[in-house]
Amino acid sequence: MASSSGAFSLLLGLYKAQLEPVGGMSGREPEKARVGGKSFLSQVTAAWRGGSILVTGLNYRGLSAEREQQQRKGKCTSQTTRQMAAPVPWACCAVLAAAAAVVYTQRHSPQEAPHVQYERLGSDVTLPCGTANWDAAVTWRVNGTDLAPDLLNGSQLVLHGLELGHSGLYACFHRDSWHLHHQVLLHVGLPPREPVLSCRSNTYPKGFYCSWHLPTPTYIPNTFNVTVLHGSKIMVCEKDPALKNRCHIRYMHLFSTIKYKVSISVSNALGHNATAITFDEFTIVKPDPPENVVARPVPSNPRRLEVTWQTPSTWPDPESFPLKFFLRYRPLILDQWQHVELSDGTAHTITDAYAGKEYIIQVAAKDNEIGTWSDWSVAAHATPWTEEPRHLTTEAQAPETTTSTTSSLAPPPTTKICDTGELGSGGGPSVSLISVPVTLALAAAATTASSLLIW
Amino acid sequence: MLACLCTVLWHLPTVPALNRTGDPGPGPSIQKTYDLTRYLEHQLRSLAGTYLNYLGPPFNEPDFNPPRLGAETLPRATVNLEVWRSLNDKLRLTQNYEAYSHLLCYLRGLNRQAATAELRRSLAHFCTSLQGLLGSIAGVMAALGYPLPQPLPGTEPTWAPGPAHSDFLQKMDDFWLLKELQTWLWRSAKDFNRLKKKMQPPAAAVTLHLEAHGF
Repeated sequence: MASSSGAFSLLLGLYKAQLEPVGGMSGREPEKARVGGKSFLSQVTAAWRGGSILVTGLNYRGLSAEREQQQRKGKCTSQTTRQMAAPVPWACCAVLAAAAAVVYTQRHSPQEAPHVQYERLGSDVTLPCGTANWDAAVTWRVNGTDLAPDLLNGSQLVLHGLELGHSGLYACFHRDSWHLHHQVLLHVGLPPREPVLSCRSNTYPKGFYCSWHLPTPTYIPNTFNVTVLHGSKIMVCEKDPALKNRCHIRYMHLFSTIKYKVSISVSNALGHNATAITFDEFTIVKPDPPENVVARPVPSNPRRLEVTWQTPSTWPDPESFPLKFFLRYRPLILDQWQHVELSDGTAHTITDAYAGKEYIIQVAAKDNEIGTWSDWSVAAHATPWTEEPRHLTTEAQAPETTTSTTSSLAPPPTTKICDTGELGSGGGPSVSLISVPVTLALAAAATTASSLLIW
Repeated sequence: MLACLCTVLWHLPTVPALNRTGDPGPGPSIQKTYDLTRYLEHQLRSLAGTYLNYLGPPFNEPDFNPPRLGAETLPRATVNLEVWRSLNDKLRLTQNYEAYSHLLCYLRGLNRQAATAELRRSLAHFCTSLQGLLGSIAGVMAALGYPLPQPLPGTEPTWAPGPAHSDFLQKMDDFWLLKELQTWLWRSAKDFNRLKKKMQPPAAAVTLHLEAHGF
């Protein structure tokens, strides 16, 4: 059998024959020029047979007498008229390439699927070339790239200090025949560390869920197995449809004195690990944060903000299992939060807001009696109502009218602390537009003192 | 095994008749009962901590998870979710009343054996509070017209020392008593929440939008 290189040179010849007009391009019937059709393939077959290369596995049906004629020519000839000269050679080349690819893979595809091997990061590995003798002359390739012969120990490939980049398809070939002898798909990874497992009930009393993850990646596939025990009873943990590291358990009984024990084991090709947690029914209750937190200014009230929210939609029974709420708020310019705990209701009015300052507000929820607080909700922003500044010059000249003004743009104590010339000496707050940024700066500068004075 | 045969409880003095003039209904007394369960639950936390430390390891370890053996006569708070939801008011109140009656009796037995004076004081204080809770539940039941549960005739209980068993098993019984008590208090809070909501007129919810503006 001719070698693969021989096949390629024949193909090259065929290609060249395509590109140059052949003497036989004369009055042949156009119907013979079936672009991409059987006739070209048959010619290819015939040409290769002429070159005495056996093509196995290719199914060319019905070699007709005309094609037998072509066989003797040994070329891929164009049978079209001159007008079709341009597309036909390209189509012929495409078909030739496809057929060549099929033949090549037929000759050089492995007889068996590659052997899959997992090795530990940082370790050394020796890959034998299948069943070849130690002293066989072989060449190794990884992902199609040749490997230097200094990595070889006889016919075996030796890799030191495996890194993630070493993962790939390793193949060894007989040096002379280029016959593929063996393939190894190498995966470099780590055995699993102890998984992190946590359980939570955000749907009390319906049930709870457990989720897990590995603290560090293993870089190779892992399988997890979760078991839930309630005393001696095994409970079913249903896989989450969307998240693959979470499963759900339904409560059958409430108010149980017996603890739940959830165990998880993780294993991959390089190792195994496990952990377990035990807890009472009540300790894992933690609702989702309240939803749709909205804060609005209250018209004609420069120090008020009205906040509303909704119980989390995942909490199944707020009637029998009411939630209490915790509200926190602060002006954006300050770091300290104010807190309010509310035992019922989903609304609250803040009455001590700094006038004209933008506030950030968040709410958390907790079952009235059991469990822990939820995470903080998505923040709501709002600024209290401020009066439209109208006749600026007249207002600025109004003397000592602090007691009557409810639409001040600066909280009075701030002006007392930072007694700069601009704001005057303890007089009425100036309502000019210029003083607003000054006031903001003063408020920022006097955080602790001002909050002490206000509260 | 715990054998609590208390004579005292089944002869509680009759609940004084509620002052019917301007009767606000059972609502306030349900709220009071709910508040009492919260107070007791809070009190129990420190009492149980002290008592379990007195029992020593493994009882005072947070991961201690023994199988529930013995202590069969303890009233169990655990109940099927649907059954609990569908309990009628009378049954809900009766179950609470009976449970605390038994639990109080057992606690008094505990008090008798307690080693230190401090423990005895704490236990006595808790027993008094628990007695108050019982009275409060009885009040609610009377207000709603439900009869107080009575012991079956012919089984007139008297205190008798239970069969002697090992020190460790006795401690296990104590452990389960405290655990069951804590769980019952959590359950009662939920029970009384449910009762409260049922008694509340629907328009009672206060909404901010009704608040007057600009004052």
